[in-house]
Amino acid sequence: MFKNEEMEINLGPQHPSTHGVLRVKLRLDGETITHCKPVIGYLHRGVEKICENQSFFQGQVWTDRMDYCSAVANNLGWAEANEKLFGITVPRRAQYIRTLLNEFNRLASHLIWLATHALDIGAMTVFLYAFREREDILDMNEAFCGSRLTTTAFRIGGLREDLPPGFEKMARKFLAKFPTCLEEYENLLSENRIWKKRTVGVALLSADDAIALGVTGPVLRAAGVPYDIRKAFPYAAYSEMDFEVPTQTAADTYARYLVRMAEMRQSARIIQQCLDGLPEGPVMAKIPKILKAEVNEVYHATEAPKGEIGYYLVGEKGSANPYRFHVRAPGFINLQSLPKMAEGGLIADIVAAIGTLDIVLGEIDR
Amino acid sequence: MTDPIIPQAPEVPEAPAGPYVYDYAASPQRQVVMPKTVPLPSYRTYQAEVKAAAEADEAKWKKMQADYETAKAKAEAEGKDAPKPPVRPVPRKDDNDVKIPWPQEAKDADLLLLQAALGDKVEEIFEQAGELTCQVAKDAILEALHLCRDHADLKYEMLADQSATHYPAAAGFAFSVVYHLTSISRRKRLRLRILVPEGFVPESACAVYPSANWMEREIFDMLGIGFANHPDMTRILCPDDWEGHALRKDYPVVGWGQRDVAFREDRGGMIERIALQKAGQLGINLKQPKAE
Repeated sequence: MFKNEEMEINLGPQHPSTHGVLRVKLRLDGETITHCKPVIGYLHRGVEKICENQSFFQGQVWTDRMDYCSAVANNLGWAEANEKLFGITVPRRAQYIRTLLNEFNRLASHLIWLATHALDIGAMTVFLYAFREREDILDMNEAFCGSRLTTTAFRIGGLREDLPPGFEKMARKFLAKFPTCLEEYENLLSENRIWKKRTVGVALLSADDAIALGVTGPVLRAAGVPYDIRKAFPYAAYSEMDFEVPTQTAADTYARYLVRMAEMRQSARIIQQCLDGLPEGPVMAKIPKILKAEVNEVYHATEAPKGEIGYYLVGEKGSANPYRFHVRAPGFINLQSLPKMAEGGLIADIVAAIGTLDIVLGEIDR
Repeated sequence: MTDPIIPQAPEVPEAPAGPYVYDYAASPQRQVVMPKTVPLPSYRTYQAEVKAAAEADEAKWKKMQADYETAKAKAEAEGKDAPKPPVRPVPRKDDNDVKIPWPQEAKDADLLLLQAALGDKVEEIFEQAGELTCQVAKDAILEALHLCRDHADLKYEMLADQSATHYPAAAGFAFSVVYHLTSISRRKRLRLRILVPEGFVPESACAVYPSANWMEREIFDMLGIGFANHPDMTRILCPDDWEGHALRKDYPVVGWGQRDVAFREDRGGMIERIALQKAGQLGINLKQPKAE
């Protein structure tokens, strides 16, 4: 006998498509999702509390471990927030190198997204291709700071060291071959009939909903809103760079795929400009060994690969620790839109919705 | 033929009598240093501090001059050489690139518009480090948010971030709640701030900005500020039965020690006894510390 009741199932917390330990409570009517509630917190480590009990310099290693796919972008936001708190001006060469590394990091993060998103939906080959190019970027990370994932790339006031010899050659070699690699991915996916069936019209999120829910990054731009913090509130050396903000209007998973692929081309363009116009000079501002704050508060947001990453810092007079250290994680806010995307759709499509949000649970739970 | 090997049931030795080796209550990480100051950025406080510092400086200089006069008169009376006249001390300048951004008077049109529209409900407006801050009365936050979103000259469409800070040393309030608004069309940012005392339940921003939902749940989880008319006021990062709020200043970094083990299925108490014994051998205090 058939039953007409709704069925409740749990997706995760240990599910390969949830990119970490995310649990989604689903209520199903047949194969249609009627109710969806994400449950988070399995990776909560208390990063904010720990950073409040360490000095201003020590917080950086914790930002690496939030979104471990884009550690450099987290480091950049952290460094700039601290520099805003203390009013430090960073030398121009350091700004260029920061921009350069940040864009390489965006490529690495988008490649991870492409690889895992395609794997979730069932396209295995792209995974291997994307990881091949990501490996080169991680090698460059290693050449610059000795670490591949948890980079701790910057210092408050600039960089610890200049670019190593041979870095420029590595970067130029990568840039020469990267457009062909992008074409390879697009040949595999863009006109692929199965890929389009799984992505076109799936997980819709209109521009109004996205803005109301605070969604930023490629998900917002795929809904037709050209909001990119690199353009809207320029930081590092982005005001001197010539690049475009790619947008789409379809607001579905396929549009987000197109936006991210176009963004990778723009990142390569920015890297090229950084390499060509790299100014000479020092890479570190003159700052004391111990930074003591005054009563002050800043909120500094930068454009991480996944969206707006913001740091809210409060300084206490004469204290070497931040009084309050708060991170506005892009994944945390973006994940709020999952019920909006998934409800009314098929259960098979929630995997596409999670993949297209490009979440990393390390930064959501902090 | 050999006899089959029958595994012996392991003997559980008796736990050593307490106190245990690692006592959470006495652990140095558990000790909390409460903040003594209230680092709440404010132009009014800054002005008062600058004025007080200038007055103290002037008083010190006057005292130095008076001391010099008395010393001079004394030296003349005793027929000795006159002492050196005092030199006014100049503040030491550090030779580095740190230039602290001090609070400044509000000149931005948005802040002035907010003050004109809300009147007495605006407690303070100022600018600092290029950021606009508007402190409003704690009951008027919903009105201010509505105004920021809907006013044709403000148009702050997005609530980018919401967070709170604990000020245990403050008088009259215990927390500040900040709302970071972003105007995508006008490329501007604004910070709204309210000061709330312990136990006060501010209005939830969800009615104006749905993105506040999880951020307010996080504030509730981490600092224990509840929000009225919130659709789902539950913990988000910690488990539902967690005790305490981790981002309060009186919460130690290592937490309140290991949580008590609840063996619901352990009717006879055997598993609990073994666990406590094992933990005792390892020097871990599984029992919750007693309240002092």
